This record gives sequence, C-alpha cells and structure tokens, in this order.
Amino acid sequence: MTGARLLVRSESGRTSSSTSINRARRVRPERLAAYVLVAPSVLVIVGLRLWPLLLGVNFSFTGDGDRDGLAVGLDNYAELLRDPVFRIALRNVGLLVLLLPVAVAIPGLLATFLYLRVPGARLYRAVYFFPAVLSPVIVGSIFTLLLAYDGPVNAALKTVGLEPVDWLGDPGVAMFTVAAVHIWATFGMALVVFLAGFATLDSTLIDAARTDGAALRQVIWHVIVPGLSRTIQFVFVTTMIGMLTSMFGLLYVMTSGGPGGATYLPEYYIWIQQGQMNRPALASAASTVLFLVMLVVGLAQIALLRKATRED
Amino acid sequence: MRTARTTRWLATVPMAALAVATVYPLVFTTNVALKTRHDYILDRFAPTPAAHWDNFAEAWANAGVSQYFVNSLIAVTCAVVLLLLLGSMAGFALSHLPFRGSRALFLACLAALFIPFQVIMVPLARTMTGMGLIDTYPGLILAYVAQFLPFTIYLMTSYYSGIPADIVDAARIDGSSVYGVYRRIMLPLGAPALLSVGVLDALFCWNDVLIALLLMPSAQHRTLMVGITSLRGQYSDDIPTFAAGVLIAAVPILVVYLVFQRQIADAVTAGATKG
Repeated sequence: MTGARLLVRSESGRTSSSTSINRARRVRPERLAAYVLVAPSVLVIVGLRLWPLLLGVNFSFTGDGDRDGLAVGLDNYAELLRDPVFRIALRNVGLLVLLLPVAVAIPGLLATFLYLRVPGARLYRAVYFFPAVLSPVIVGSIFTLLLAYDGPVNAALKTVGLEPVDWLGDPGVAMFTVAAVHIWATFGMALVVFLAGFATLDSTLIDAARTDGAALRQVIWHVIVPGLSRTIQFVFVTTMIGMLTSMFGLLYVMTSGGPGGATYLPEYYIWIQQGQMNRPALASAASTVLFLVMLVVGLAQIALLRKATRED
Repeated sequence: MRTARTTRWLATVPMAALAVATVYPLVFTTNVALKTRHDYILDRFAPTPAAHWDNFAEAWANAGVSQYFVNSLIAVTCAVVLLLLLGSMAGFALSHLPFRGSRALFLACLAALFIPFQVIMVPLARTMTGMGLIDTYPGLILAYVAQFLPFTIYLMTSYYSGIPADIVDAARIDGSSVYGVYRRIMLPLGAPALLSVGVLDALFCWNDVLIALLLMPSAQHRTLMVGITSLRGQYSDDIPTFAAGVLIAAVPILVVYLVFQRQIADAVTAGATKG
C-alpha cells in the first residue's frame, strides 16, 4: 500500500514545485476536516465539562442568598468545616478509603479462582458480573426490602440464633451496610477487569511455580501480584472513584443520608445543598473539596502502589 | 497437583455461596412482585402460591412506569446515537488525521474522564437554566453526551489506532474525501467498538439517576430510575407493586446483559488493558 502511494505521488508530481503545491492542497482539506470532525466534541467537552469545573471553583468563592454573586473569600469553606454533617461526609470518605483494600481483594481473589479454573467458572463470571450493570436505584430498592428490620436478612440471622440488626436505621451500622451493598453491586466490574489482566499473564510462570510446589498463597503473592501490578493499580483507582462518585443512587434510595446524617457522602451533601437547601455556592465549595480529595487519594494510591510493586 | 485440586474444590464453596448471594436478591424481589398484597403481609418469604401478574399491570399502567419507560427510552436513544456519532468522528480524527492540538484534545478527554458529575453539577445546572434547557429533553440528552463522551472518544480512538493508516491513504488516493473515508471505511470498520461502547453508554444513561433528578425536575419528565425512586413513597403500603416496578426497570438491563455480555466486558476492560 505504501508502494502504491509512492507510485501515485511520483506520477502526479512531475516537478518538485508541483509536488509541494499538491501536498499543500492535500494537507489543507485534511486539517480542515479534522477540525470539523472534532469540533462538536470539543464544544461539548470544553463547554459542559471543563468550563463548568472552573466556573464551579470560581463560584465557590461567592455567596448564597443575600450575598449572591458577591466575593466572600473562603467563607464557604469555613462553613463546610464547621458543618457537622459535612464532617460526617468526610469521615465516611475516610471509612470508604479504609474499605478499599477489601473491595479490591474480593474481586481479585475471585478472579484468581476463576483463572485457576474452578468448576463452573463461566457461569460464576456471568452471575457475578450482572449486578455491576444494574442501576444503583434498582439495587438500592431491592436491598431496602431485603434489609428491612423484618426482612429476609434478619430472618436468616434469627434462624441461626442471632439478634436482628437494624441495618439501615442504626447510625453505627448504616454506612457499612450501604458500602457493603455498593461492593456487592460493583465487584463484578473489577472482577472482569482482573480477568482481562490475567489473560495477559504468562501462564507458564504460574504452572512452573505450582509444579515447584508453591502454595496458592505464594503463587498469588510472588507471581500474580507483581505480574498484575498495572491492573491492580487500575482497579484501585477506579474502585475508589466508584465509591466516591457512584453511591448517590444507593444513598438516595436506601437512607436519604440518614439516620441523623450518618450516611452522608460529599456527593449527597452537594445534592442536598444545591437542590434542597438552595445553597449552590456552598455546594460548589463541597464539589471543589470532593475533587481535591479524589485528586489526592488517586495520586497517593498510584504513588504507593508503584512503590509497593517495585519492591518485588 | 493434589493441593491444586483441593484448592479448586475448597474455592467452590465460597464461590457458590457468593453466587447465591448475588442471585437471591433478584429471586426474592421476583417472588414478592408475584404476590398479592395479602400474601405478602402474611408471609413475605414463602414462594408465592400463584403468580399474580396484576402487580406488573398496575405498576406499568397506573403507577406511571410506562410513561417513565418511554421518557428513558427517548433520552437514552438520542444520547447514545449522538455519543457514537461524535465519538467516532473525534476518534477517527485523533487516530488518523494530523492536526494542531490533537494531543491537547486527547489529554483534555482524559482529564474530563476524571471529573465526576458531582463536581460540575452546580454550575452545569445553572448553565442549563440559563440556556433554557432545564427540564427539557435536549438538556438532559446534552448532559448525558457531555458525561460519557470522553469515555466514548477514548475507546474509539484506541480502537481506530489499530486500523492501519494504509487503508485510509489508499482510499484518499482513490479520490475519497476525508468525510467519505469516515463514512465508508471508519464507520463500518468501527462497528464492533461502536457496538461495545454503545451498549455500555446505553446502560450508563439508562441507570443514571442523579443527572435526571437534577435536570428533569417535573413529574411528567421523570426517567425510569427517577420514577422508581418516587414509586417507593407512592406504594409504601403496596410493596408487591413497587417490586414489580423495580423489575420492569431491570428487565431491559437483563436482556441487554444476556445478549451483549461479551461486548460489555470488552468495553469495561478496554480502559484497563490499554491505559
């Protein structure tokens, strides 16, 4: 094909000057076409994603209500720090970050089992992945029925002689419940990503380690983890983003932030301040904080994991 | 080798338990949705004595689920068509056409990928209000396109990068315009990627609740997921009908999943293996 192109070029360009004219003519429509092709996307991404980010940050330094549009410096941020509900939201973020290794280890282990050809692997994979494509609204609705005080989960506890738990009504329990439901609903996503990572692994390494008599634990730690470092990194970051930005549906359906604000997350706080309290500037400040938290946690994770996987 | 086999069978127990834990919630909900209110109050766990399909009819016709369903269908269809159109156009340009700022655009896409909707929702709602697009389909569709376009462009660009430049060059030499190349070569060749990313985009839009809640506040414009959340309050004393509504919302997802499972997994993993 390259040969054909050269042939056509030399045929049409008899002298060097006509070649360059020809090339210039050809480049221009190509460039123009490129701009035409990307223009709508640029318009949408810049206008509705990047520009609002700047607008929002800017907006967070202005006031609400009577002080609408006035510059108020860091007042909104100070108010956020004073607000006990926002503090709970941040504390819950901390809790989620602590749960992160669990949320990554579960699909990681399951993927390992599937990769080692547990009987029925294909069926498991199909079953596990399904909740990941269900809407948080559907998942949340189903689990409000399951986790009701007189629901099936407590009934099951009762049959094995345990006390019922107020899964969504106990402030000390509710956040764990919602986080667990979120993990139930999303581990299939990470599982599929892990399986794709396994497909790139050199299986002879694993076979060699096992014929040498290495225990499963050793194989995981010394062969699989180092070999999958990029996949693990990717799953960590995407799982964290998922936890911080896609639990709104669950919170909205299952707890509405309650009981007593115990299940607030920044995203729910932003929604309440914007939609219910009519405090858009304060909500923008919370958005900016959420963005910074994600940036920091994401970068810290990448740095930590780089270090950890390099040691091996 | 013996240990390997033992491990395999040992793993089967927790894995089967987890599979049951994954399926049971759906089975329970289906069972509830098929009960009469009376049966549900008497015993919510026992298998329903007779399938009672009236709950589905009630949810569909009287609870407004049919209206919500149509609203969602409109928004999702338009958004996905636009996403695939813009995404393939930009993906083609970014992968095969040299132009100033192409690298900057790709980086902007990646950056936008990491800006969650929650972070921009306040200014976006104000912008939409300012443009008169709040509570309108164009507004919601535009917001969906903006939300999922970076991902769509990213996947289309990496897919198109695997198509040899020679094919484009040959078509150009045969007298095809750049747009002709896009229409006659890139669109058909991109079909597998368009299908994968289109299915995933459709699921994202169908499952969304926050964007629709923010931008489509009036009751007659509720999307299906927003409608389901309102159903909960409306039918708090008629859980079987509520459960039926939830299942109606889940059925299209189940069908899409059963048909396109491989494509969905491909689109989900494309970011992981290439990023």
